[in-house]
Parts: sequence; structure tokens; C-alpha cells
Amino acid sequence: MKMTSSIQHDMTIHDLHQRPRSRKTSAWVLVCFGLMLACGLALPLAVQAQSVVETVEQVSPKVVKIFGAGGRKNLYAYGSGILVSPEGHIATVWSHILDGESVTVVLDDGRRFNGRILGAEPQLDLAVLKIDAEDLPYFDLDASTSDAGPGTTVLAFSNVFKVATGDEPVSVIHGVIAAKTRLAAKRGVFEAPYSGPVYVVDSVTNNSGAAGGVLTTRDGRLLGMLGKELKNNVTHTWLNYVVPMSELKSPIQQIVTGNFKPRSSDSAESAVTVRRYDPRDFGLVLIPNVVARTPAYIDRVVPGTQAAQAGLKVDDLVVFVDDRLVPSCASLLDELGQLEPGDPVTLVVRRGDKLETVQLTAPRNR
Amino acid sequence: MTFALVMSLGLTLASADPAASLEAQTDRAVQQAVALVSASVVRIDTVGGLEQLEPGMASAGATTGLVVSEDGYLISSAFHFVSKPTSILVTLADGRRLPAQLVATDRQRMVTLLKVAAERLPVPQPAPRESFRVGQWAIAVGRTLDVESPSVSVGIVSALNRVWGKALQTDAKVSPVNYGGPLLDIDGRVLGVLAPLSPYESGETAGVEWYDSGIGFAIPFVDVLAVVDRLKSGDDLLPGLMGISFQTKDLVRAEPVIDKIRFGSPAEKAGLKEKDRITAVDGQPVVRLAEMKHIMGVKYAGETVRFTIKRGDQSQEFDVPLVGELAPFQPAVLGILPVRAPSETGVVVRAVLPESPAAKAGLQPQDRLVEIGSTAVTNATELHEALLRLLPGTEVACQVQRGDEKIAVTLTTAAIPNTVPATVPAQSPFGMDERPEKLATGQINETLAGHDRPYWMYVPTRYRPDEPLSLVLFLHPTLNPLEREVLAAWKTECELRGILLLAPKLDGQPGWSPNDLEFLSDLIGHVKENYTIAPGRTVVIGMETSAPIAALFAFRQPELVNGLTLIDTKPLGQVPENTPERLLSLYVMVRGNSLEGAKWPQAIDTLQKLGYPTVFSQVEQADSPYPTAEQNAELARWVDLLDRL
Repeated sequence: MKMTSSIQHDMTIHDLHQRPRSRKTSAWVLVCFGLMLACGLALPLAVQAQSVVETVEQVSPKVVKIFGAGGRKNLYAYGSGILVSPEGHIATVWSHILDGESVTVVLDDGRRFNGRILGAEPQLDLAVLKIDAEDLPYFDLDASTSDAGPGTTVLAFSNVFKVATGDEPVSVIHGVIAAKTRLAAKRGVFEAPYSGPVYVVDSVTNNSGAAGGVLTTRDGRLLGMLGKELKNNVTHTWLNYVVPMSELKSPIQQIVTGNFKPRSSDSAESAVTVRRYDPRDFGLVLIPNVVARTPAYIDRVVPGTQAAQAGLKVDDLVVFVDDRLVPSCASLLDELGQLEPGDPVTLVVRRGDKLETVQLTAPRNR
Repeated sequence: MTFALVMSLGLTLASADPAASLEAQTDRAVQQAVALVSASVVRIDTVGGLEQLEPGMASAGATTGLVVSEDGYLISSAFHFVSKPTSILVTLADGRRLPAQLVATDRQRMVTLLKVAAERLPVPQPAPRESFRVGQWAIAVGRTLDVESPSVSVGIVSALNRVWGKALQTDAKVSPVNYGGPLLDIDGRVLGVLAPLSPYESGETAGVEWYDSGIGFAIPFVDVLAVVDRLKSGDDLLPGLMGISFQTKDLVRAEPVIDKIRFGSPAEKAGLKEKDRITAVDGQPVVRLAEMKHIMGVKYAGETVRFTIKRGDQSQEFDVPLVGELAPFQPAVLGILPVRAPSETGVVVRAVLPESPAAKAGLQPQDRLVEIGSTAVTNATELHEALLRLLPGTEVACQVQRGDEKIAVTLTTAAIPNTVPATVPAQSPFGMDERPEKLATGQINETLAGHDRPYWMYVPTRYRPDEPLSLVLFLHPTLNPLEREVLAAWKTECELRGILLLAPKLDGQPGWSPNDLEFLSDLIGHVKENYTIAPGRTVVIGMETSAPIAALFAFRQPELVNGLTLIDTKPLGQVPENTPERLLSLYVMVRGNSLEGAKWPQAIDTLQKLGYPTVFSQVEQADSPYPTAEQNAELARWVDLLDRL
């Protein structure tokens, strides 16, 4: 179940505390922090044993609150970001909040800055902002990224629902890594702009405004950036996903150093899928595809074709193409349609109470 | 100063903060518990199957299963098999893929047993019931997000003996992602099998709306193992029924005093009587209804339960053998329409329906029915209550006041006919002459605050606050609001019969979904705050794509909906039986000859067997997107028959 996003008013200027905390204190913290690291190097085991309380103290100042465009209807006008350099480079998600000329970035100590968009990689749902500041606490991407498996306690830092204003640090939510998986850009299942490896978290970390926040391990190691709200359109359940920092690290660094070239937009083809092959090209005729969930039963095998040679039979039910489940005729048509000439393809069929595996090859000339 | 500070920090780190060390150990223990059971957790995929009664709520993705015997038996949540899939495929932890057979379902605990051809599968160790403690670690495991390694959610056991004694409750995240998977204790023993459940409803999808909310349930694994052998025989295990009902649904306050006994039920055969007070079940004393439900919640059909009751001053004991299925409840009627204006005494007849028991006995409009079967009736509600206690076909003596005369008539009750009479006289207006100012009538466009969703409605201009209206809630097909057509077909009927037509709009939503149910409930609530709506005369209409949600709303909200109309849609999936506590009538209209329409006659038969009075109307396909005014007129007459007695 998901909290409804009822807190959707636009942020106004007078909500923001403008009185910064004494710079002296911050400097002190930095000095101590540096020394702490030094001690840590000498005692690696001790650093491992950092507690949640210590981690929160350390991570919170590196997460910023972002306010920008939106505020109408269901579009919230706030988000979260991660400081990735002491000079004010901020990684966040690419979203409608960044649609305006500039955005407002508020640090945990209440200082406000205008942020400008330095660059974006829409395919990774990533944007990098820059504020004019120095000596900020930050995540060193070269040193501090990590990896973690299911069951690991994690902490998610974000300005979810804009709970933090002014000189407050963002909210921390704890949970465990539920799974490491891939967001399949499967048509109609997820409407995610990003497809690729993700961490799934077992608590509700992805609500309005959380995207762009950070996920760390219990002991403060950087895992990834919180994704947007994402609903699985098949099960109608919400998925709390995090994009691993290993995916984001180089594009962030490239944008920061000004060497970024966006990926060629080869995703355009996925938007309009032309089915290159259909089952007949392999010598298969499926039963008529009448309802949305018609199972992919083989109605006829054309003699002398590779389907016949591979031993496929009438009434075989195609259940997997390579490692993907084929829940219906339609999805088999999609799977075969996407093959390139010469591609090998493994079909698993159910024949009576047995599963049979056959290899086919997409024909080179038709 | 600086030095001291650094020193103290350094010392803290060096001495390994006990909190940090504990946290690290907990993570490790969780991961070890999961690793211990991982080999017994399988992934289940399904292919094909029915379209859903409850769109979106059913799991169309993968689900999880758990090994229960080494010769290839697996248990999973029944949730995933609602759609009766064509083919079930299991991926074992070692990567082997096998086809599976559905063996049987425990419909009491909502778990399903599957069989695959595999040997020497690892059966996980069950946690003994004595070890269950509220507050202990609970780890929910699934195998759907990733086949390679199971998914994990960590929480605690929140409560024991939930959902009438059936389940453990946990705050670990439980959802279609891990339904069917195990809930582990910190030692890796299986506490239970994760499943959606609700204390308020039964059925495969009850409780799904609580997914990931911190309220999750698991059927104790020890209980599952205890019934595996019975399930292996291939017969479903059914909840044990006895056929009694109680006056109120308020379980906490309600006393276990029998209100109604179903005809032909085990309770009737055993000799229980209405007004008997149940004082103990299987020797355990009960004072409130909830206590009895806790005991009965885990009883299966075939078991015998001993009831101790108090009848008058006498205490008696009855052994009641429970059954899986009761003969359907059939509401009995006399065939009269009551005058809707409040009467001082008795029920005044507005119309006598043709060929009804009342017509055969010679009842006339303006007759005042004052007594049925030696029970005095002062209003329509009391007559309705009395009729619920009679089987169709029962002779019953009635007293009728006709002018100054009091006459005795004997009627033979009938079942509600499955046709609509050609004419149904409308109730003439009886409200106050002057309409209060500022009372909006006619077509009204508004937005429901809180949901920010628009709707339109038509309030008959004859409306007066002291004359309750019928309510018709129309859910339009996804891409077509049909506002003009629906209004044209209904406007005259609304005026004639006192019907408020209410039509929420999708407003850019991709389609109706279970998420809209709360909006629909709130919308009806909002309308009832402003207009007087008659109890018992609320109908929801679903057409084409909106039909499944209309049906879901009607079955989920029996206290709000009395009639369900489905236009141009295919038959429903499995529905619960009709009961005296929440009576629902159905009207199905199919236009033209379609494949889907051809499936209805058999479905109507099933619905009638489940006790639903159902009218089936197959009409010509006209050019209009909504049924013609003439076709709609029969539907309007049916709405006006909902308070028939």
C-alpha cells in the first residue's frame, strides 16, 4: 500500500529558512571528519562497524532538497539530490522539476542556492546540477560506491513528501535490499524511463519527492540513487527501486568534467516495434490469437521447415523464449518479432507433462 | 580540544560500537536464515487463464512456492490460481524448470498444493507453534523479482491467531511478489506461508489491497503440513459451514444468538432453533460472536462441532456436522410493491405484480397487510424480514385490512421471477408541496473534493427531501463517457420513478481499477449527505470495460449496493453465494449476438444456483452506443422492483 501524495502544494520562498548555520561549525565538522577518515584507514575493521546513528550523521549533509517546476495537479514541485563534489555538483533524477529555467537547492543547514542544469542523460533518468558553493560535504564517487545483496540493511535519504524544509536534514527510511534485479522495459508492465539493473528495497522509499535521494548501507557506503514512483501495471503494485551508482558513476563524472556525450537514442526503435519475424518464418502456425491471454499453442507445423526439423509438434505450448516466460500468443509474436537475422533462439515447449527445449535460428533471407 | 575530540572519536571506532556490531550480526543472521531455506523456495509462472473478475488485483506475473514434501509437492498461495491458468511452470532453486499440476486447494486457509515430477526436494524445517512470539524477527522470502536469489523483506511477528485463528501477522512486506513464499524466523525455520487474507472477506484476492502496508499474513507452516496429505488426494478442503446467521455484523458487541437458520442446513437438521443462545463451542465458552468466529475460522467441512446452547432456561448440546456447501438461499416474495410513503400501520399495497402469489390470492392496491404468519408487521422492513425466514413455496396466513374490513388470506410465497413485468406502476410523488430553496435538481456537474474527480448526476425535479430516491450509479466504458446518451435514456425514467442517476467520470485515468472503489464509496456517501436515498434501492451499472469494477464494487460493498447491472460484457468469474445478510439482484443485458453473449445463459444458471435473482435480457443491437430508451425502460422498471415484497 502506498501513501497518497497529498502533500503537493508548491513550495514558496517564505517557507525556506534563510539563516545559515555558523560556517565555523561546518568547518569544524569537516576537520574532524577528515581526521576520522584518517583513523579509519588505520583501523579498517572499526570503520566497517559504523552504526546507523553515525551513518545518518555523516550522510545527511550530503543530500539536498530541490525545488523547481510543477505544483499543479499531480505534479509535485520538489525532489532530492546527492552532492558529488565539494564545489556543488549534484546528481539527481531527470524530471519535470527541472523543466524551468533554474531550480532552488537547499542544503541541510538551510543555505539556499540557485542550481543550473549542467547536463542530463535521459536514458539513465539522470541529471547533474551545479550550485556555486565550495567546501561542501560530498560523496566521492571514486572511493565510496559499493554493492550489497538481498537482506542487507539499507538507509534511504530523501526529501520524501517535502517533509524537510529550510535547515532540516532530509528524512531517513530504513529497510533491507529485497532483491537485485533488472527493470525490464517490458511493454505495458513498467512505465519506467530507465531499464537496467536495480536494487529493490522492501520499504516504501519511492514516494513523491524521494527520487534523486541516496541509498547507503548501514555503515554509510554509497549504493545508488532512489528512483521515481513506479507501478507495475500488471499487478498494480508499487515497486521501490534504486539505480546502482555503478551505472551512474561515469556519466556523472563525464558531465562534471564536461566530456559527456549522450548515448545515441537507439531506444527509439523500442517505441515503435516493427515485428521483423513472425512464427511462420520458422514454420509455425499458432492458434488464433483471440483474447488477451490466449496461450501460445502450436496449431500447425509446416513440413520441411526448421520447426518441423527441430521436432516441434501440434499442440505444443510455447512457454519460454530464451529465459523469458511467454504468457500469451501476443508475447511470443513480440519475442520472435524482435530477433535479428541469424539470431539463435531457444524455445521451451510444454508437451503433455514434459518440457522440451528446441533451438531455432532467425532466417537470414526471407 | 581538537585532539581530545579526535581521540574520543578514534576510541569509539576502535572499540567497535556495540550498536554497530549488533546491526552487522543481525544482517548476517537474516542472510543466513534466507540461505538456509533458499533451496526450498521456487518460482511459479502461469500461462493463459481467465480474464479476471477483479482486474488488476490478480497476479499476472510470477509468484512463489515452497517445497512441502521431497517427492515434488509444493505449496503456494491460492491467490495466483484464481484465473485457472492453462499451464503452471515451476523453476526450482537449482534452475530446473518443470511443468506443474494443480492438485487441490485449501479454501479455508487459501493455499494451493502443486505437484512437479522431481525427487529429493529439500523440505524446510517448520517452526513449532510453541515458538511463535509476537515481536520475534520475521523474514518474508519470495522468488519472483530474480530467479537467481530470493527476495527478502525483514520485519517482526505482529500478532498470532489472526483472521479467525488462521494466520500469523507480520510487518514484513508481503505482496504478490512473495505470496506463496515462506515467512522465516531468525533461525531459518518456516513460521508460515505468505498469503493475502482479510478478516472481513474470503476469496482468493481478499486482502490483496493490504500489500506492502505493514499488515501481512502467513498461514502457520505447521498447519499447512498437517493438511498436505489430505490435499494430496486431490479434493479441495472447504471451510465448514452450518447455516446460521446473526442479527448484527458488529462482531465485537454481537451476542451469539441465532437469528436465522438456513433451510436444509446442518444447523436445522441438528435441531438448532432461531433465538438459541450459543454458550460454548467444542467446550470453549463463548460470550461474543467474535469468540465463536475464532473457533469456527479453522474448522473444515466434514468436521463435527459441539454447540452448547441456552434455549429459554434450558441448556442443551448439539453435534453439528459441518458441510462445504449450503443449499442456496432463495429470497421469497409475495409479489407486491409497497406504497413508499411512511404508513401508520401495516404495509400498504401500491401494486400487485401479475401472476404473483398476491395476484393469485386476490390482493388489491390499497390493501393494508398487517400480519404474516401470526407476526404483526408495521412497515415494509418488518415484512421483508419476515419473508427472509420463509422458503419460496411456503403457505403463509396473512391478515389484510381492506377499507373497514379485516380479511384473512393464505398466500404461497414464490421465488423472485427472472422476468420484468411489462408495466410497473411508479410511486406517485408524496413529498411536501414546496421544494426547499437552494436544492439543486436537474443535471449537475461537480467534482468530489478529496479525490479531485469529476462526476455528473441527474436529480429528478420532483425530488423532495421527505421522498427518498432510488440511486443508479453508472460507470461508463473506458473511452466513452456516453453522457448525452445515458441522460437521454434515463431522464424520463428518473422523473417518473424518482431515480437519482450518478455518473462518475474517468477523467483521463486509463481505466477503472480497484483503486477507484474508495472514490465510488465516498461519492455515494457524498450524494447521500445531500439527498435522501432509499435504503435497498441502489444499483450500479457496468458496461463493457467498466463491468468488472461495477461487479467488484457490488460484491465488495453489499451494504451500499442492492442491484448490479451488466451491459455487453462477458460472464463474471467466481462469485460468492447470495445470503440473506446481503441480498444482491442482477440484471444482465446483452445486445446483438456475440460470442460473449452466448456464454451468458449458462452463467445465469450458475448465478441463480448461487441464489442471485437474475434477469437476462438479450436485445437487438441498435446503432446507439448506449441501449435505446425502450431497452433501458425495462432496466428502469427492474430498478423500481428492488423493494418488492
